[in-house]
Amino acid sequence: MYAPFIAYLFLAPAILGLLIFKVYPLLLSATESLYQVSFFGQQAKYFVGLENYRDVFADPTFWQSLKVTLKFNFLIIPIQVALAVALALLLNKKFKGVRVFRSIYLLPAGVSIAIACTLWSLMLNPNSGLLNSLLALVGIPRQPFLTTSSQALWSIILIASWKGVPYWMIFIMAGLQGIPESNYEAAAIDGANALQVLFKITLPLLKRTLLFVVVVNTVSNFLLFVPPYMLTRGGPESSTNLLMYEVFKSGFIYNDMARATTMITLLVILLLGIVAIEFRWLRAEH
Amino acid sequence: MDKIKSRLAPVLWYAAVLSGLLIVLLPFAWAIASSLRPLSDVFRYTTPFSLRALVPIPFTLEAYANIFQKDFGRALLNTVFVCAATILGGLLLNSLAGFVFSKLRFPGKSIVFTIVLVTFMIPSEVIAIPLYMVARNLGILNTYAALILPGIANGLAIFLFKQFFDEIPSDLIEAARVDGASLFYVYGRIFVPLSKPAMITAGLILFLFQWNAFLWPLISVSSPAHRLVQVAMAYFHTENQVLWNEQFAATVIVALVPIMIILPLQRYFVQGIAGSGTKG
Repeated sequence: MYAPFIAYLFLAPAILGLLIFKVYPLLLSATESLYQVSFFGQQAKYFVGLENYRDVFADPTFWQSLKVTLKFNFLIIPIQVALAVALALLLNKKFKGVRVFRSIYLLPAGVSIAIACTLWSLMLNPNSGLLNSLLALVGIPRQPFLTTSSQALWSIILIASWKGVPYWMIFIMAGLQGIPESNYEAAAIDGANALQVLFKITLPLLKRTLLFVVVVNTVSNFLLFVPPYMLTRGGPESSTNLLMYEVFKSGFIYNDMARATTMITLLVILLLGIVAIEFRWLRAEH
Repeated sequence: MDKIKSRLAPVLWYAAVLSGLLIVLLPFAWAIASSLRPLSDVFRYTTPFSLRALVPIPFTLEAYANIFQKDFGRALLNTVFVCAATILGGLLLNSLAGFVFSKLRFPGKSIVFTIVLVTFMIPSEVIAIPLYMVARNLGILNTYAALILPGIANGLAIFLFKQFFDEIPSDLIEAARVDGASLFYVYGRIFVPLSKPAMITAGLILFLFQWNAFLWPLISVSSPAHRLVQVAMAYFHTENQVLWNEQFAATVIVALVPIMIILPLQRYFVQGIAGSGTKG
C-alpha cells in the first residue's frame, strides 16, 4: 500500500479549494449576519447578536419580497415539474425522428439563464417583440408583458421555464429509462389504460427521481436572481422583487453587507424548511 | 375504436412535439435572423408579422463587426481564457481527488468524501456574498484569479471521476507498485489515458459552469478589463437599448458557443446532468 501521506498530498489542492471557496463562505454567511460594519473602516466590525435579524423583520420591503418569492415559487415549481414530466413522457415514445427532437429540446438547457432573459425580453418587447406581432395575427391586442405588475411575474415564469423545463426533463428521462419494460408488459396484459399506467406504474416508480427534481428545482427557483436583475429591477411596483435580488441590492447597491448576509441566511433557513416538507410529503405518499 | 386510436396517436404526438419545438426554436431563429439585418430593418418584418422575419434578407454582418469593436471582443477573450484555465486546473485537481477516493485507503476518508458531496449541493448563489468577502480578504477582487479559482475544485466532477475510476480494477495499482512505479506515474500513465469519457463529461461541466456563470462574475470584477461574456451581454442589453441588431448579435454568440459544443457531445452533457441525480 501507498502511505496515507500521499493520499492527503494528492487530495490537498482540490479539498483546499472546496474548503476556501465553498465551505468557509457558507459558514461565513451565518456568522457575518451577527456583525455590523462600523462606518470608520472596512475591516472594523462589531458583534450585534440578532440585531440585524430584528432590523430585517421590521422592514416591510423584506416581507413584500418574501411574499413575491413565495408566490413565484408556489406557481413555478409545480408548473416546471409537471411540464418536465409531460415532455419526458412525450419524448420517451418511439416515433420516427424522436432522437432529433430530443436533441433540439435540449438546447435551452445548455444556455444560461441570462441568455433566456435577453432572448425573451426581445420576444416580449411590447412594441416590437415577436410575440405581440404573432398575437396580432390571431386578433389578440398588444400585451405589456414585463412592463406591467399584473404580467411581469408570469413573464418571468415563462422565461425561466423555457430554460428550466428541458433541463429538468433530462433527469426525468433518465428515470423513465430506468423503469424495467416488464412493468409495462404486465400492465398491457392486465388491460390497463394509459392513465392507469401513468398513475399506478410510471409515477410511483419515478418517485425517487421526482423527489430529487422537486427538491433541486425548489432550491434553484428560490435562489433565482438574474431575471429581476436583468429585466425588471424588481418592478413594476415591486411585483418581481424576488428575495435573491433583494439580497444582491442590499450587498452591492446599498452596500449593506450585514443586511445581505442576514437575508441570505433567512432564505437558506426557509429553503431547508421547505425542502424538509417536500421530503416528508413525497416520502409519505403511497 | 382501437384502430382509430392507433392511427390517431402518431398524429397527436407529432402535433404536440412540433408545437413545443416551435416554442424552443422561435426565439433562436428570430434572434439569428435579426442579428444579420441592418439596424434600420431589424423589426421591419416582425410587426406586422411576415415569415420574412425569420429570413435575414437583406443580409449584413454589420452588427457582429460593431460589437467586436466595443468591449464585447474583450469579454469573449476573457471568458475563453477563464474557461480554459478552469478546465485545465479542474480536470487535473478533480481527477486526482477522484482517483484517491476511488483507489486509496486513508484515515478520515469518509468524512472528507462527505464534505465533497455536501459542497456540490451548495448553490453558488447562496455563497456569492460571503465569497465576495473571502475574495476581498485574499486581495483577488478584480483579477482573473477571482474568476478562475472558485470554479476549479468541483464536488460533482470529483464524484464523477471517483465513479469512473471505481470501474477500473485496482490490481493495476498493485502491479505498478511492485514494479516500483510512483503513484503519480500510475495515475498519469494508466488511469488518465483510460478516463477520456469522464474527462469529457467533467470538462463540459466545468466549461458550462464558467461560461454560463452570472452572479459571481458580476460582483467579483467591476472593470470592463475583466468582464465576462454573460455580464457584458447584460450590460449591452440595458445600455444599448436602441442598437437592437447588436443586442441580437451578442445574444447569438453567447448562446451558440455552448450549443455548438454540447451538440456533438450530447451524450456526455446528459450524463453530466443526470450524474448529479444518480447519487440522490
